[in-house]
Amino acid sequence: MNYHIAFDSPWYLCLLLLLPALWVAGMKTLAGLGKTRRLVALVLRSVVLIALVLALAEAQLVRSTDRLTVIYLLDQSLSIPEAQRRAMIQFVNSSIARHRDAKREDRAGVIVFGREASVEVPPIDDEVPVPMSIESLIDRNHTDLSGAMKMALAMFPHDAAKRVVLVTDGNETLGDAQTQASALADAGVSIDVVPIQLEARGDVSIEKLALSSDVRRGQPFQLRVVLNHTTPAGDAAPPVKGRLKVTRHVGEIEEVVTEEAVTLEPGKKVYSLTQDIEDPGFYTYEARFVPDDVEADELSQNNRATAFTHIRGRGSVLLIEDWAPSEKGRFDHLVQRLRAEDLEVTMMASDRLFTNLSELQNYDTVVLANVPRSSGSDTSDVVQSFSDDQIKMLVANTQQLGSGLVMIGGPNSFGAGGWTGTELEKAMPVDFQIKNAKVEAVGALALIMHAGEMADGNYWQKVVARESIKALGPQDYCGLIHWNGNDEWLWNHPRGFGRVGEMRKIMLRRLDGMTPGDMPQFDGSMLMAAKAFQNLPDAAVKHMIIISDGDPTPPSPSTLALLRRVKVRVSTVAVGSHGMLGSNLMQQIASATGGKYYVVKQASALPKIYQREVRRLARPLIFEDKNGIKPFVKYPHEMIKGVADDIPPLTGFVMTTLKDNPLVEVALVSPKPPGEKNATILAGWTYGLGRAVALTTDAGQRWTTGWTGWANYDKLFSQIVRWSMRPVGDTGKFSVATDVVDGRGRVVITALDKEDEFLNFLDMAGSVVGPDMKPAGIEVRQVAPGRYIGQFDANAAGSYFVMVNPGPGHAPIRTGANVSYSAEFRAEETNAALLEQIAALAPHGGEAGKLLTAPAAGEPLDALLQMDPFRRDLPKSTASDDVWPLLLVFCSTVFFFDVLNRRVHLDPAWLAPYTAWVKEHVFGRAVEKKPDATMSRLRSRKAAVSDELAQRRASARFEPEADAAVADAPLAADAGATETQSAAPPPPRETLAAEKKEETYTERLLKAKKDATKRRQ
Amino acid sequence: MQTRIVSPAIVLLSLLCGCVPAGKGQFAPEAVWGKRGLSKGRLQKPRAMAIDAQDQLYIVDMTARIQVFSRTGEYLRGWRTPEWQNGKPSGLSFDHAGHLLVADTHYYRMLVYDRQGKMIEEKVIGGEMGHDPGQFGFVTDAVEDSHGNFYIAEYGEYDRIQKFSPQGEFILQWGGHGEEPGQFRRPQNLLVDDRDRIWVADACNHRIQVFDTQGHLEQLWGQPGSAPGQLFYPYDLTFDGKGHLYVCEFGNHRVQKFDLEGNSIACWGGEGRSPGQLFNPWALVCDSQGDIHVLDTNNHRVQRVRF
Repeated sequence: MNYHIAFDSPWYLCLLLLLPALWVAGMKTLAGLGKTRRLVALVLRSVVLIALVLALAEAQLVRSTDRLTVIYLLDQSLSIPEAQRRAMIQFVNSSIARHRDAKREDRAGVIVFGREASVEVPPIDDEVPVPMSIESLIDRNHTDLSGAMKMALAMFPHDAAKRVVLVTDGNETLGDAQTQASALADAGVSIDVVPIQLEARGDVSIEKLALSSDVRRGQPFQLRVVLNHTTPAGDAAPPVKGRLKVTRHVGEIEEVVTEEAVTLEPGKKVYSLTQDIEDPGFYTYEARFVPDDVEADELSQNNRATAFTHIRGRGSVLLIEDWAPSEKGRFDHLVQRLRAEDLEVTMMASDRLFTNLSELQNYDTVVLANVPRSSGSDTSDVVQSFSDDQIKMLVANTQQLGSGLVMIGGPNSFGAGGWTGTELEKAMPVDFQIKNAKVEAVGALALIMHAGEMADGNYWQKVVARESIKALGPQDYCGLIHWNGNDEWLWNHPRGFGRVGEMRKIMLRRLDGMTPGDMPQFDGSMLMAAKAFQNLPDAAVKHMIIISDGDPTPPSPSTLALLRRVKVRVSTVAVGSHGMLGSNLMQQIASATGGKYYVVKQASALPKIYQREVRRLARPLIFEDKNGIKPFVKYPHEMIKGVADDIPPLTGFVMTTLKDNPLVEVALVSPKPPGEKNATILAGWTYGLGRAVALTTDAGQRWTTGWTGWANYDKLFSQIVRWSMRPVGDTGKFSVATDVVDGRGRVVITALDKEDEFLNFLDMAGSVVGPDMKPAGIEVRQVAPGRYIGQFDANAAGSYFVMVNPGPGHAPIRTGANVSYSAEFRAEETNAALLEQIAALAPHGGEAGKLLTAPAAGEPLDALLQMDPFRRDLPKSTASDDVWPLLLVFCSTVFFFDVLNRRVHLDPAWLAPYTAWVKEHVFGRAVEKKPDATMSRLRSRKAAVSDELAQRRASARFEPEADAAVADAPLAADAGATETQSAAPPPPRETLAAEKKEETYTERLLKAKKDATKRRQ
Repeated sequence: MQTRIVSPAIVLLSLLCGCVPAGKGQFAPEAVWGKRGLSKGRLQKPRAMAIDAQDQLYIVDMTARIQVFSRTGEYLRGWRTPEWQNGKPSGLSFDHAGHLLVADTHYYRMLVYDRQGKMIEEKVIGGEMGHDPGQFGFVTDAVEDSHGNFYIAEYGEYDRIQKFSPQGEFILQWGGHGEEPGQFRRPQNLLVDDRDRIWVADACNHRIQVFDTQGHLEQLWGQPGSAPGQLFYPYDLTFDGKGHLYVCEFGNHRVQKFDLEGNSIACWGGEGRSPGQLFNPWALVCDSQGDIHVLDTNNHRVQRVRF
């Protein structure tokens, strides 16, 4: 590393010209100091001036180094064959081993990417071989070159020159690589490119599965499957044989439409089928091609296509119930009564949930009947949970596709069901958290983290901690203990625990920097937590979750006893990082405190466990009164029409907080606890295109047992369900067709009235929900009589659900389109043009990168390895630090010495004793002891001054001549003479006179005091 | 009087010149070496260390590599334990024949190697998890007495020390999980003195216990804390041959020097990453010149100091 000084404001250096003037002036003004001190003063002043000028010029200490950091970006998307992806890794390992200069401490890092980028090896100055099967989890169905480059730019250390080596076929499906590459070049990053040559290959794909646009109930329609057999250019490829299977799904029913052997010559081939649909429903058709010879078909991902159609019928309800054995079947009575009310109800257990949005399209409303977000059996550690995606689907199904969403209460619903902080909470007319501090719904959760040794342990610990914090209410307490050299609370709250509402952001921020170490024993952290729990008297539920591999030393019996005394349940989560499945120790801790013990084989199960455990803290949200609560009508809502007057009492419900939104309509409220805002029993609102209902009590299970025998039970619940359902009563005839071409989806609607006349000038509007569950609007335009077209982006693979509202008086039209596979699987050759452009970008101050094509699969890498990514053709990396603050300090210090030099005359004689000591003790020389000259001089000087004073006083009183001789004695006499004089006694007359003078003064003071006293009296 | 005036002046001058007065770590390390990494000679969270008669340092890290270094940190050779997926060794020592005893913690056994890294399989003890004689929990350390008997410590559900004959036959055991004298909570390290007494770093009880060869408690001292004389997670012990015991304190990030009666003489270290500071050190050894080598685990390095 080299150092030099640079200046941000160099023109200030001109002030150094003042130096000669300073010297000239100093020679005159400092003449009185003597030669040496004047010289010292001039030097010090010069230094002060120089330091001041350098500070003004903003001096910088610049470090430059020829160290280099190279980050390899490896495209691991599926458009590149497996063999070539493996060859990439070989290349990287060999390239680093061959070219990295260890002496210069060059660093190498590896990023792999597909849809997202992930760091496989961070930039370090060591050889860390990339494993042949990469460890990062990435979606390989897409290629985002720009994301990978952006990540590399963020990772480069500042103290080295920077280069990326981009190994890819250049077929990006997301992002803008060209723009990002320019940003890298502007930032001084050199880009080498290694294009992967894609070989021409034989492939069969299903290009399209199309339904005709006039699908109507009971009328035959056409279904077309377009297959494409592509072959290497110029090759006379043999036909590919295989089986084409078309299936139809409605709800949970799947039936095979056709399955036949097909022979595909190169080129496209269309198969047509005639279909008819008798029953209403949302139908999904799927076509799949399976080749007889797998080798004849390069990509299997493009062998499948789906299409949707919808035939409207009577209302249909999906009721989801808890799968836990203790809960299953509790809503059978409700289902039976709804069916009796002519509603078609399908039941679904929460361990067999829907997996995509299309499965929900067969229903007009979804009822969550006392279903927790995560649930499991008490006798096993299997936990099933709604994933974030499934929750998003439920919400999108209501918000974008107009379905109803009803949440029926019970001890496992709303906030008590762990739904706090989820997207579902946003869709409901009530919030699941209690923001009123008067309601004592407070839980306290301690998290103890010791899973650093499991694979990706720190990542998962952050995930579960984040899930826990997210699921807690604002009044709840949360604390996290980890080992950071010692047992420590992660957020520095004096009590260890902090209220989530006040500290949520701080907690989440601290989590980002958390790196738990290897905790030697459980006792320290558990005791810390137990003591902290003692200081939370307002916490009604106290819970601790420990995640560990079980190798810390067990807690002491006294700690476990304290936890029991404070009523803390401890659940333990054993992660098998030491070859063991489970840990007796952790099982014992859980059983000793009444908690639950989990053994985790897959880290991905952890969030579900934490969601379930955190739910234990939500128990205070349940309000129960065995004497019964008679709800009162807040608003005569359609849902309680005709039943409002004789609603039987209930004994419990889940407390919520009413949303402060004018769209919310509250039908029933409980008079207890005080405060209507938290005592909603039944409320509904319109959410997006659909409706959502919150019934916070149950449907006859625990809290409303009196309702099951009530005459209006059926009416109440059927009205609730019907109010939430998607509107029916279609008066027109609409046929819909969808299509996706080149990343654009198209929906074509033909509108006829009952007399088959075109419906024109309808004010149609639509929306689409893509695979990412994000809604987008669709502009629908009329293009011909009765014909309307809307378009939307459909770049990503997956299902797109479209909802079109034809206007007043017409029920919404639903349809869907499917992009069966990513553009990734269409790419047939390398995007050489893009890669050449990227390689041609010269970094700021350096040369353009190299471009060297990778050899074909199976061929040696020797030629490619000639390219040296660690070559020195980039400017040295520099880093600078401001030194002006130091200069100012230095300047002040020197100035102090300058003043000291001018104002204080330092006599070097004080060094004499030290010199003597050093001579005697260090060099062993005998030193002659001399009387202390300094003290002698001080004494003689004192005596001389005393004599002088005496003489002056004496002369002022005109004493006889005899005393004048003493007064005439020289003041600066030699030491011996002074001693003699000072030893002589002072004239007695002078002493008496002084004493007399002082007595007179004292007397005067006393007299004045006495006079003052007399006057007061 | 002159001295009183001049001393502050000298300190002031020193400060102005950039010198810092000696603080807690009064003894600057003689050498600091080691760098984090996975290639030869690099260290990845090293956890145990032993020194042979030639002053060569044997270090095992979280990659289960046993690497041999010269006294000055020059890499000499290395090898890896046969299995490591379940966990890595956490204890090393030498027997009188110059064989390296490896506490293969998560495989419940003591491995034995010659100095070139060749395993001596006939001397391996254990390999089975359990609490019967000859079975183990998490093995922390293994040592040999002057008669060739082996003592192997373990923690987990049964914190104990088992004694084996030179042929590897079980002789006796003592200890048990707890805080009473003679019981242990993570006996992390063993050390045999010249009277064949077994010194035990009872880590989670924050104390030192000394036993005779039959497991009878002879001495016990130490209490938790960070003041001189107190201990916080003592993880390793070594003698300097001059009547001193050096204790590596994982929790206090320091090395403390005691006399053999448990009286604190000096401390060195403190939490940090600078030379002279430590971050969760796991081990220490004393070489033939009386220098202490400290395995600064979370700083991935070794520091050599004399104090």
